[in-house]
Amino acid sequence: MALPAPPDVPSIPPPTRTPLFEGSTQFRNWRFSQQQLHATRVSLNRSAVTAIRNTFEADLPGSSSDIQFLESKEELLLVKLYVTKISQLCGHFRFPEEVEATGISYLKRFYLKNTVMDWHPKNVMLTALFLATKTTNNPISLEAYTSNIPRTSASDVLDLEFLVAQSLAFEFAIWHAHRALWGLWLDVQDLPNAPNRDDLQKYYDTAVQHVRTSRLTDAELIYPPSQIALACLSLADSDLAATWARAKGAESVLQIIPSIKDMILQDGQVPSVEVVREIDRRLKVCKNPEKVVGSKAYLAKKEKEEREAESKRAKKAEGVRKAMEDGDPFGDELNGAATAIAALDDDD
Amino acid sequence: MSGASRSNVGGWLRGTTIRKGATPSTTRSATPQVQSTSSTVFGGGVKDASGRTSEFFSMDDQCPVCKSDRYLNPKLRLLVSSCYHKMCESCIDRLFTLGPAPCPICNKILRKLAFIPQTFEDLVVEKEVAVRRKIAKEFNKRREDFPDLRSYNDYLEEVEDITFNLINDIDIPQTEARIAAYRKENASLIERNLQREEAYAQALKEHEEAEKRERQLRADELRRAEEEERDAREGERRALIDTLAQSDADAGRLVARSKAEAQKRAAARTSAAAHAVQASSALLLRSRAAQGAAVPDVPHVAIQDDWYAYEDMFTLRPSYFDPASDAVRRDREGIMRAGGYRVEEAWERALRSAVAGLDLPPLVGLAAGQGDGDVVMASV
Amino acid sequence: MDAVEKANAARQRRWTKDQKVGEGTYAVVYRGREAATGRRVAIKKLKVGQFKDGLDMSAIREVKYLRELRHPNVIELLDVFSSKTNLNLVLEFLDSELEAIIKDRTLVFLPADIKSWIAMTFRGLEYCHRNFVLHRDLKPNNLLIASDGQLKLADFGLARDFADPGYKMTCQVITRWYRPPELLFGSRYYSTAVDIWSVGCIFAELMLRTPYLPGESDMDQLKTIFRALGTPAEEDWPVRPPRTASDDTLADVHALQGHTKLPDYVPVGQFPKTPLRDLFTAASADTLNLLGKCLVYEPRKRISAKEALNHPYFSALPYPSHPSKLPKCAAQLASAKVLEEVNGNVDPVGQGPGVKAAPPKRAKRKLSDDDISRNIARKLDFS
Repeated sequence: MALPAPPDVPSIPPPTRTPLFEGSTQFRNWRFSQQQLHATRVSLNRSAVTAIRNTFEADLPGSSSDIQFLESKEELLLVKLYVTKISQLCGHFRFPEEVEATGISYLKRFYLKNTVMDWHPKNVMLTALFLATKTTNNPISLEAYTSNIPRTSASDVLDLEFLVAQSLAFEFAIWHAHRALWGLWLDVQDLPNAPNRDDLQKYYDTAVQHVRTSRLTDAELIYPPSQIALACLSLADSDLAATWARAKGAESVLQIIPSIKDMILQDGQVPSVEVVREIDRRLKVCKNPEKVVGSKAYLAKKEKEEREAESKRAKKAEGVRKAMEDGDPFGDELNGAATAIAALDDDD
Repeated sequence: MSGASRSNVGGWLRGTTIRKGATPSTTRSATPQVQSTSSTVFGGGVKDASGRTSEFFSMDDQCPVCKSDRYLNPKLRLLVSSCYHKMCESCIDRLFTLGPAPCPICNKILRKLAFIPQTFEDLVVEKEVAVRRKIAKEFNKRREDFPDLRSYNDYLEEVEDITFNLINDIDIPQTEARIAAYRKENASLIERNLQREEAYAQALKEHEEAEKRERQLRADELRRAEEEERDAREGERRALIDTLAQSDADAGRLVARSKAEAQKRAAARTSAAAHAVQASSALLLRSRAAQGAAVPDVPHVAIQDDWYAYEDMFTLRPSYFDPASDAVRRDREGIMRAGGYRVEEAWERALRSAVAGLDLPPLVGLAAGQGDGDVVMASV
Repeated sequence: MDAVEKANAARQRRWTKDQKVGEGTYAVVYRGREAATGRRVAIKKLKVGQFKDGLDMSAIREVKYLRELRHPNVIELLDVFSSKTNLNLVLEFLDSELEAIIKDRTLVFLPADIKSWIAMTFRGLEYCHRNFVLHRDLKPNNLLIASDGQLKLADFGLARDFADPGYKMTCQVITRWYRPPELLFGSRYYSTAVDIWSVGCIFAELMLRTPYLPGESDMDQLKTIFRALGTPAEEDWPVRPPRTASDDTLADVHALQGHTKLPDYVPVGQFPKTPLRDLFTAASADTLNLLGKCLVYEPRKRISAKEALNHPYFSALPYPSHPSKLPKCAAQLASAKVLEEVNGNVDPVGQGPGVKAAPPKRAKRKLSDDDISRNIARKLDFS
């Protein structure tokens, strides 16, 4: 790709220039290979099963032997279903497409760090969408949100918000394929033999449908949005896509898009309701009791955490008391003692 | 170091009498004027930054001795004794004019001149301030006089202890002894510090004077420059009228010429002013250059980072067939445009995301995380 | 969840907190160090969980944009970690802000210094705009200075994406004194020009050493602007239909009515236009030209950050001062004393998130330690 020299004032051409997309958190942290995705999910699932099994065993030995835990591909199906539910909700609220796409991305990314057996997607989905309205600058009041969703209270949404944000590593900005498609569609009009208006409109409508389908797949976790958009256009009219790619001097991308197209066509199906219902039924049994508010395991865990926090607080108070007894509240500074690593407590 | 040159401070020492009803100049103009009924002028009180004292004043003031208050006696003025009891001027006059007498409240023997006006609402504060003032004269050591922080803190604690005792009348004789002991030990140090403080205050005053003088100078210069300009313009106008009256040449041309000359002269004046500014900044530049000659200034470079925004991969056209932005572009009332919104920017952003990362090959295999190690993969 | 928490704990261990240096409604700021290298950082602990709508929008905005932006003239977010209910941002530690330097009357500014600061501001801003991010809160308070003199944009609590087609945005942004007229008139659709106006005000302030357009209320702000720059006539701020829009969606002739059609437009009084030179007597022609272009009324005609960086003002002599030679205020120069009095107002990384309701008071002073001791010594004259 040619690097042009800027006009007017001469600027010192730097040795290499980093493309803006490669500076984004999406590129740096949320881009995987097929194999990595698979491996991550499997290992996440396995460790979750182990942990939950132990919790069951701790409570009642032998109770876990006849529980059928979920497999990672079943988890994936469940998440997929809830992706479609996000789209439905967005239609209901008339949220812009940006919100829908962002919410879906958050949901998918969340389950790369967590298992459905710990957190059921039906709440995570609500939270992810709510968070997306905020990060895309289309905020809606919590009140307005929950009152429009049946059987939902404010705490259902808010309790998980911090967890979702944490799981996302607070990386909120996402480049989406639908914007890339729009840009692509505009740029196609710049080609020497641009198609006429009616065709253009037709291609756009088809391609946009494919973009929506792609959200059900792993495409955004593997490919950059420009490639996904090009694949969708290619599904509408492969010649146009190829011409454009050649005009951009990016012929190599034409090798990549067939796999994207396959992914969209094969993995873009909405999961069947019966299959999902079955999974959901099994989930009720195998979900992690530690996360169920009020259950024995939950209370036990809370107690353990409380004890740890208490001992930490006591240690801190001890430290302060000792300092006071030494006769100097400013003991640290004057004695030259190294400042302690401050425990980052909530009460700091 | 007080503003010793201020009027009345010496007055009370001399017991100068003053006309009745005259406002004592030690009170600030903002504070309501408390007219003195007594024939003696009382000085003292704590001064603020401008060297004036303000007196505490409240509508509820009442003399504890004669019980007169401000309602009955608008000119009521309460003064404070050296045993920190309040009473009004007429009582003071009545009780102490004939010589020292016991205080009606605590029986301590007082002189008339031992009374000072009240500065602070709380008499305890008044006492404390007086005590601290006295102590500070002798206990004037600084952090630099001590080898380490610990000993400095010890000294401060000692001072506080003494002060506390004096204020609350605890162990007075022992405390006085401590003070005397300290005074003896540190006589020379005290003296030196006193001198240092005086010198500092002097320097401050001089600095202020210098600044004031400079400001004055500048104001004068400005005035002079303005006057000159005005005179010059007057002169030009007069000259023009004369020439017009005398010569037969075309009036218009004459006026034009005179105007041109006037402009030239004005330009010369502003350039002279600019020269002056430049001269002073030249001075500054030289001092700066002396400071950091090692680091030269370099010519300006517009963009210094190395981010690539794919600018060369597309051309933004002035217009597109774009139903999505129709509403914006129609913008009947021009509201969006008046605010500065440009649909071209939305197009540019879309176009860029259409080409961003277009040639990025997908990752393959199980290679370890490519990021900054931000997020640890779950592999418990 | 545990894996996520473990990851967080790992990141948390990289940083140590030393001392609290400030507190606001939304955040507590600590000075700290990177444990491995000793590099100084500021740790901003955002209080979350206290708002009825969940995570605070300003916190989200700050994190979102700082995570993506990386530029020498934009404050760097080094890390983010969270404990149960706290969000901690690890930012690079910056000694002081431009406001303190402007207010420090013992410092003298050379034209080269001003040029350098403005260049750095424009560079940081151009980078943000290049990434389609509006800052929307530029003021000397939010331009922080590093120890090597580099100026950095900070406090992205009001920032947002722009160039989303047709989305309404709020006009209650930017501190009043630095707010452009189109926002004061209630425009909901604006663009990068709002930031440029703020930079113009900052530019003027650097030259005057006092805020250029200090209004006391929104209405007064408009009057102040018009008094300084003259009331805009229709020609100054028209909105002609674009000649090149596609044919079928053309606006009508009515669109010629311009800024009077903005939502909160009110006529404010007729003031004549006085030339900038009358106030900025010492400025060069280039300077005034650039300043004028930043303060143009019609937002579309206002200069852009990129164009500004290519303006002859920067290529003319003198060269912009090297950042290391720029004046520093006393607080920066003083080495950290051990028993330093912590002035609760000092907020080295900028104030907490949130929309500013009132403008900074005119008399607000941020005193350095020497100033404080001198003032106190004068007030209580124990002589």
